[in-house]
Amino acid sequence: MAELDISAPRSMRRAGVFATLLLIGFIGAFIYLGFTLVEESPEYMTRSGAASYGVVYDRSGDVLFDGTKALSSYPSGHFADIGNVIGDTSGQMKNTLVARNMEELANYSFMYGKGSGKTSLKTTLSHAANTAVYKAFGKKNGTAIAYNWKTGEVLVCVSKPSVDPAAGYANIDKLAEGSLLCKAFLPTVPGSTQKVSTLLAAYETMGVDAVNKTEYNCTGSWLNASGQRINCHESKGHGKQTLQKAFENSCNPYFAQLVQSDKLPLSRIIETYTRMGYSVNGAAADTLEMNGIRISAASTTLKDAKDFDTQWGCLGQGTTLVSPFQLMLWEGAIANQSGIAVMPNMLSEKTDVSGAVTLLPTPGKTGQMFTAEAAAAANAVMTENVKKNYSALVKYKCGVKSGTAQITDGGKEYENSLLAGFSADDRCPVAFCILIEQYKKGEVTTAQIAKTMLDKIAALK
Amino acid sequence: MAVSKTISHPFLLLLVLIAHTVMLLLVALSFGFTTEVLKIGCYILTADLVGSIVLQFVHRESCTVDTVMLLVMGMSTIYQSCFGGLQFALRHFLFGIGAFIMCQISYLLVRNPYRAEKLKPLWYICFFLLVGAIFALTGSRGIWIDLGFITLQPSEFVKPVFVLIAASSISTQLHKKTLWGIHFVPDNLMLILCTVVIAGLQWYCRDLGSLPTFVAVAGCGMLLRFYYLREKMSFRLIVFLAVCAVGAGIAAWNLAPAYVQERLHTNIWADMSGSGYQQVKALVAIAEGGWFGKGAGNGTLHNVAASNTDIVFSSICEEWGLFTGMMTVILVLFLPMSMLAVPPRSYYHSGLAIGVAAVIMVQMTLNIFGSCNLIPFTGVTLPFISQGGSSMLSCGILAGFLKAAQAPVLTQKKKAAA
Amino acid sequence: MDLSQFFAQYPNMRELLTAIAVIFVDICGLMILVSAVRERAHGDALWTREGHALMLKCGEDVFPLGAAEVVIGRHPASDIRFLDADISRFHALISLSNGKWRIEDLGGANGVTVNGTRITAPRVLHTSDVIVIGKRKFTVIKGKKEES
Repeated sequence: MAELDISAPRSMRRAGVFATLLLIGFIGAFIYLGFTLVEESPEYMTRSGAASYGVVYDRSGDVLFDGTKALSSYPSGHFADIGNVIGDTSGQMKNTLVARNMEELANYSFMYGKGSGKTSLKTTLSHAANTAVYKAFGKKNGTAIAYNWKTGEVLVCVSKPSVDPAAGYANIDKLAEGSLLCKAFLPTVPGSTQKVSTLLAAYETMGVDAVNKTEYNCTGSWLNASGQRINCHESKGHGKQTLQKAFENSCNPYFAQLVQSDKLPLSRIIETYTRMGYSVNGAAADTLEMNGIRISAASTTLKDAKDFDTQWGCLGQGTTLVSPFQLMLWEGAIANQSGIAVMPNMLSEKTDVSGAVTLLPTPGKTGQMFTAEAAAAANAVMTENVKKNYSALVKYKCGVKSGTAQITDGGKEYENSLLAGFSADDRCPVAFCILIEQYKKGEVTTAQIAKTMLDKIAALK
Repeated sequence: MAVSKTISHPFLLLLVLIAHTVMLLLVALSFGFTTEVLKIGCYILTADLVGSIVLQFVHRESCTVDTVMLLVMGMSTIYQSCFGGLQFALRHFLFGIGAFIMCQISYLLVRNPYRAEKLKPLWYICFFLLVGAIFALTGSRGIWIDLGFITLQPSEFVKPVFVLIAASSISTQLHKKTLWGIHFVPDNLMLILCTVVIAGLQWYCRDLGSLPTFVAVAGCGMLLRFYYLREKMSFRLIVFLAVCAVGAGIAAWNLAPAYVQERLHTNIWADMSGSGYQQVKALVAIAEGGWFGKGAGNGTLHNVAASNTDIVFSSICEEWGLFTGMMTVILVLFLPMSMLAVPPRSYYHSGLAIGVAAVIMVQMTLNIFGSCNLIPFTGVTLPFISQGGSSMLSCGILAGFLKAAQAPVLTQKKKAAA
Repeated sequence: MDLSQFFAQYPNMRELLTAIAVIFVDICGLMILVSAVRERAHGDALWTREGHALMLKCGEDVFPLGAAEVVIGRHPASDIRFLDADISRFHALISLSNGKWRIEDLGGANGVTVNGTRITAPRVLHTSDVIVIGKRKFTVIKGKKEES
């Protein structure tokens, strides 16, 4: 008698395999659904408007945004200086710290629900310094941004005109143009601050000594190889000068001749620019990001080293556009003399809805944007520039480059004044960029604002 | 004839009773021990007891499907009673009992696979009657038939009939007919015809929500026909079928009529007060519920349309938590899983079980994933959980098919008695 | 018993109780599934009752009749498969109906012989019947003494 075997035959069991596959597929998709729901639940809360929000503090505990009560309950003008940087939850501004971190700031987590509602974010900004810089602008508009090039902490970020979130948006039509945008993150004509980039390209290509010894003559006006004229702001001309002198004079003919020179091929300039983050001739460049805030990449058009447009582009005019944020970033890489900058960061600490505090990771560093030798040499040139021309900034061991950008805006012509630089002082190791719009002689200067800013930062703990 | 090892019925009953009691205690945590809570408790626990006793005396062959049904029906009645305040969901409860009865009836009808397959002409008649009823009654009155005390949705009842049509036995497949030199299996042609008819009908009714369910059942049916007669799925066939499926999907996606296109491309966040309203509310409800919910009766989703049908998963998640919601779905999955525990012994039953598994899983996918905005929102019911008489009854019929696969009878009663 | 006061005191208590309850309900569900697996033995017993535990013996090999339809043939899908040239791809179908096993010729070239007679219509199988398909000889045997 054979052993009893009554198991279902092979072909029948295959139906079981089929059912198993169906089940595995469904359960797999279902687990994915669970993860998605848990992962995206803060997004559901914020996007649907069902969430309440916590508080944003500055580095010393001063309130920069408060979702727990009406902003109008704070002293008038309390948020005026950071309105378009910190932003609010109204949805009027999209590229602000709060708008980009709504889910982090929401009084909600899937685990704790609305919990004890203690959510808060601590920023690295100094509200005191920020207010002082904002006031230093006086009646002028512009932007100022500064960050600690050692740690990446953004200490000051001002953009004027700004909106006061406490005042609401009832008069949104009457707000001055640009009130809802932080100009530090938007591209602008860099003017002669661009000469730093060109100088870095030259140092990399020709070597530091060769560039420093290069002499060109300036007669106030210079005819390039294509027969086009490049004028100097000093109509009498600077005469024969070395690089250091030309840098201090911000001499256009000198730098134009440097760009046209065979020793500095245009391809090498483009290469350095690209490494620094420029989008050259429409090539793709990475958008910069800081805590979710997006910053447009610098861009320029460089076609022919002997052509006016290209030379003009290397001098920071024409189609060249750079955001003050990116100018500051390069100054950071020059300040530490490595060619690598620490990425700026605005958030330091997060308290979640249950009250648990976590230190937020600091973002990393940029890639090698230019060589360490070039950075060190540019550092020396800029420091020398301060010693000669910026007595107010000497005590902070600064190095700077000024710039004047000629803007034609709908038939209106005016000049923006820029200052990009760094301080090597241990009290205020910052890289910064300051922009004053529609600058006129006799009004507040970028150097004065820089001094106010460094004074305030140096006074911080 | 005594069977050596029978499963312990009282033990399973005890499990169901404990599970329901624990859930009722949770309800009491929110509402206190009010008379309404006690009433719900009495109804549900009595139904468990009576159902078990009935099973004890009627069919002892298999009780997995029945027990899981008892458990799920009681749970869903408790859920439905608590949405936005305590109110015993009597209708849902009664339809649950109805589904249980339908399960037994359909079991008796199809437990003999030969008889069930021989009755196929009858299933075809049922199918075309139902399709005809839908066809005749659409337009002015929609797809509902109002009988006063109950509104029937014939399209729900098409599903079990379609499952009966889609399943096939090996002898049916091996007996080919020849016409004009072409060998063919009439059964397969009928399945294709029925699929085309139902697809056309859905198109005509402008309600393509259930189409994926029918396509899945037909697809599984066809696949099994290939599958039984092959050692393994050949690579070429798999590629061919995959390409066909993808091609059909792309074609359907692009050629779908405007009202479907609108559904397919809805961005719920762009229109939170309009077409995206239900889903946004459903997602927020899940988010607010968290892992363990706000507590029975504390939800807010009952103010939204279809809170106890189309977005019932979110309603459960809001009050009882995502964990409970997911586990409830897994419990419903136990029904098709039963065919893994006790494999069917005949090809027709096997086809039925796979068809039922396809219906249940596709419906759950459409309902849950749709309300959670991962796929287009179609508004189908969640089997055994959603409120709705037709859906419940047809789910009961489907459960009966599973039970038949568990405990087939190939001998007629008289014979066994003799 | 004032529940609201109790929960105000222990805000996490409700979540905890819910969690315990839900896990408990799931354990109940799982137990049902486990008992379903135990039903497999019961299912086998049921099948023995329905199918009388018949088997086909061919030389040393024993083929159980484990499903209501069993195909003998050369085709890979056949449950009883021989790679003989004189066996058709789908040669014979053995099926269970109304308590009886029947064998049916699927129209192969060489036919099916039961107890020496070539069959033309489905024929009921009994214990110790001898089936000849091609060169193969099968004996119908009973897997186990099944008595009540």
